[in-house]
Amino acid sequence: MFRNLCLIIFIALAGLTGCSAPDSSDTLSISGPFEPISLDPARSGYIFSRMQVIETLVDIDNKGQLKPGLATRWEHSKDNRVWTFYLRPNVVFHDQSAMNADAVVNSLNIAFSKPAPYPQDLVEAVTALNESTVQITLSRPYRPFASLLTNYTTAILSPASYNESQEITKLSGTGPYQVEEFQPPHRVGVTKFQNYWGEPAHVSKVVYTTGHRAETRALMVASGQTDIVYNLDAASVDLLKVSKKAKVDSTLIPRTILIKVNASYPALADVKVRQALSLAIDRQGIATKILRVEDIEANQLFGPSMGVWHDATLPPAEQDVKRANALLDEAGWLQDDSGIRHKNGSPLKLNMITYANRAELIVIATALQNQWAQIGVDLRVHMENASAIPSGHADGTLQLALMARNFANIPDPLGIMLADFTSTEGGDWGPMGWQNPSVFSALSALPLVQDKKAYASQVQNIMHQINADLPVIPVVFYMQQSAVAPRVENFSFDPYERSFRLSDITLKPAS
Amino acid sequence: MAWSVGTLTFVLVRTLPGDMAYKIAASRYGDDAVSTASAAAVRAELGLDSPAWQQYFHWLSNLITLDLGDSLVSGAPVVQELQHQLGYTLLLAVCAMLVSVIIAFPLGILSGARPSSAVDNSIMVGSTFVRAQPVFSLGLLLIFLFAMELNWLPVAGFGEPRHLILPALTLGLSLAAISNRIIRSSTINVLHSAYYQFARIKGMSRFSTFCRHGIRNILLPVIAFMGIQLIGLIEGVIMVESVFAWPGIGHGLSHAVFARDIPMLQGAALVFGLMFVALNTLIDVCCARLDPRGVRQ
Amino acid sequence: MIIKRMPTLQPAQQLGLALVLMLLIFALGEGAFYAADPNTQQLAKAFSPPSTAMPLGADQFGRDMFARLGAALRLSFLLSALCVATSAITGVAAGICAAWAGGVVEKVLNFVVNTILALPGLVLVLLFAAIVPGSFIMLYLAISLTLWVEYFRLVRATAKPLINGPQLQSSMLLSFGRWYCFRRHIWPAIAPDVCTLAAFGAATSIITMASVGFVYVGLQPPTAELGLMIVELFSYYSDAPWLLAQPLIALFLMVLGFHLLAGKKTL
Repeated sequence: MFRNLCLIIFIALAGLTGCSAPDSSDTLSISGPFEPISLDPARSGYIFSRMQVIETLVDIDNKGQLKPGLATRWEHSKDNRVWTFYLRPNVVFHDQSAMNADAVVNSLNIAFSKPAPYPQDLVEAVTALNESTVQITLSRPYRPFASLLTNYTTAILSPASYNESQEITKLSGTGPYQVEEFQPPHRVGVTKFQNYWGEPAHVSKVVYTTGHRAETRALMVASGQTDIVYNLDAASVDLLKVSKKAKVDSTLIPRTILIKVNASYPALADVKVRQALSLAIDRQGIATKILRVEDIEANQLFGPSMGVWHDATLPPAEQDVKRANALLDEAGWLQDDSGIRHKNGSPLKLNMITYANRAELIVIATALQNQWAQIGVDLRVHMENASAIPSGHADGTLQLALMARNFANIPDPLGIMLADFTSTEGGDWGPMGWQNPSVFSALSALPLVQDKKAYASQVQNIMHQINADLPVIPVVFYMQQSAVAPRVENFSFDPYERSFRLSDITLKPAS
Repeated sequence: MAWSVGTLTFVLVRTLPGDMAYKIAASRYGDDAVSTASAAAVRAELGLDSPAWQQYFHWLSNLITLDLGDSLVSGAPVVQELQHQLGYTLLLAVCAMLVSVIIAFPLGILSGARPSSAVDNSIMVGSTFVRAQPVFSLGLLLIFLFAMELNWLPVAGFGEPRHLILPALTLGLSLAAISNRIIRSSTINVLHSAYYQFARIKGMSRFSTFCRHGIRNILLPVIAFMGIQLIGLIEGVIMVESVFAWPGIGHGLSHAVFARDIPMLQGAALVFGLMFVALNTLIDVCCARLDPRGVRQ
Repeated sequence: MIIKRMPTLQPAQQLGLALVLMLLIFALGEGAFYAADPNTQQLAKAFSPPSTAMPLGADQFGRDMFARLGAALRLSFLLSALCVATSAITGVAAGICAAWAGGVVEKVLNFVVNTILALPGLVLVLLFAAIVPGSFIMLYLAISLTLWVEYFRLVRATAKPLINGPQLQSSMLLSFGRWYCFRRHIWPAIAPDVCTLAAFGAATSIITMASVGFVYVGLQPPTAELGLMIVELFSYYSDAPWLLAQPLIALFLMVLGFHLLAGKKTL
């Protein structure tokens, strides 16, 4: 009887795992931390745009300049309120229907009704002027509008993708790959789309598997199980640099690890305290010892890849504990026997939130805790969910937060600056309770500046003030590390993280 | 049972600090896009503003109609997600059980046949070694050995039979470490029992005696013990799924805890509870089949 | 007086006791005499090998491993001691109550126990740990909640026949108090098993704390905790395997000690 039981179980198992292993010679397997939870671009669009399933009207090149996407060109009225997009001809969706103005209007109307990283009331109307022209009217002038349409939430899907209640039932985009299997939140499999409008893909099948733990992901590529792994943690980079199974690719991306500061919190309202905190940070140590990358110390908000918004003349950020101590003394925070600084009897105790999804953050937080203890600041680190940051911003309880701010959501920094740096309210992932009327008014006037030269000098002037006043404290620029197996050719990393650029990749035949 | 588990999870999650809408938004829209605006959208959509007791009764009335609601994160029906995960979890659990049986039986009988011999002692040391570490570190050791150094097996993931080997082995080993000792003591009891000795004196060969009188009697306490092991199995599943990124219920559960996905949590907890009850019943039935005298209390 | 009734230890148990005591002496001794701060980072000294200044070397931030290990062991011992004491007292008391009172009390307690049993312990601990992330108290409560059930079931099953048995009934007729009856009749019967459970419970609580640390809902960095240390050093396994080995071995020895101390394999 026992033997029969075994037999039954074995047969059942054989049935369950009976699917034969896929032929991996023409299948690219990739892994990253992203969890595809739904087909909806508003939720998991960042995965499907990276997998090149969906595309947007406007695209971005490596330097952050806009380039044609599904729209070949666009123009706007003098006051930046009425925008006209001319669609690329002869584009078909994965379900073979044509990409025309009606499909775009339908797709955008649904997209603008869902949460997105731009003001919700910005778009007034989307209309089709003819078969291949779409006009978008805004509720107010908005200069960086074209760059909003690079965001994955505004990707164009075929009308058949939606059901009556505007939910996505089958994802049908225009990209070089189409969805073949979808197992939320663990796996997305895509196959080559034969009728792609551009250069078709080389590799016929790509499987993305979610690697929830950074350590595990690194091991997956080190053991040859996976071809490409994104978002490596620093510790794994060392492991992989000595491994023959993978090359490490490092690309500087428009992300900055920074400390969000609640400037309305009494102790942090004083710019001297903020400067002292910034001076006490050993950025060099954090960069080389924790992140294992050279030359990424952040002396300002925007990194070198951000054009006029980056000030190349600023001196590099140096740790200066002596000056930090002097500044705190000046601000009236005096050290007592316990080593903690006090002012009017209350100690300089601060809370910092950070989140676990990016492994390096918690490590940096630990280092900051230690470095600030040397200038008499008692920092407590709280590991939370990323949502604790906007929620702490909304209810005012947040004091400090360490985060990796993504500036590529909307590639033109102007959009971010207008949203975050023009009021005391600040932004969920930006300043909080910070008052600087001269920056507020200069920024608000910026979209109206037509002359390029004047615009650039205005920007420099604004950034100069911001980098001196420290509404947020930049720590390091973000170096994105990926590991690539030797058989993968033509790998490149998109600094704007919009695409994995899978369609360029070719695989070396197994030797 | 279902009601109490559901209520417990409901109350616990309700008392979690922080705003639920934000957590759900973070899971839905990703870390870069979670904002007060997206949280507000979530709150409006899911009716998180209505008082807790209303939401609770709403959930209760749904439960009666066997509707567990939709996952707050993905929006898909919980039942559907659980079905999907349950398949993987059961597959892993069954394989782990098989592995543990395959390992534990020969070892247990070997050491039971010759108690306190060198073989017995080395098996004991081995079992103690495996038992004295958390499942996750056992998993890590196996990864280092089989995936990194020898490069025989994939590190993590799912989809092919190969992927199943390491998680099942990890879990199976940790179970076998305990059950082989039970089999050992059970074997000693049987081999020294009067009926077994009599069979040998009757002139039956060692082997046939063992097949006729040994196996069945050894199995009894072992199967009864399996019931106790189930808890260990289920807890092991959570850790192992986390280490190997295996898409089962354990993984879903720890995710649901992070994301405050109440329907998912309740569903997963319910499934664990039901599984536990069902398996216990199954074991009772097995014991009754093997020994009609009804030994098990 | 309770101690006197303790069974004599087997050789294996003596070995376990020795292990536990050794680790305890190390943990307390480090705190008393060595007393380096486990969280001070010296990034320049990262991965320095063992030396006279740092007997066990330094981790990836140049923190003194000897100090961290001592702190982590102290934490584990504290947690296991608290959990075992709480769960044993609660479990034994509830078990006796259920066996003695019977009726409604027994039914209610049974219902509670079955509810807790229906959820795997780790699930409960995960839930509790998620309520207040990084809180030692929450972890302690959750682990105790999952542990006391075993004592309850054991004690109820052992005590029930005793309470209805002739010895205890005659003691009651001679109007001895309940406390006396418990001491005289019930405690001797359950003591060995309770001690065994306690040793296993200590091991379980240590493993659980390390496990929730591993899935990021346990205590938070920079706390020196064995599970967290394993996760943090895991990535450096190729650079510095001797670092990863330290918390692994410490955890292993601790659990091994308690398991050996538990002696016979209870079910």
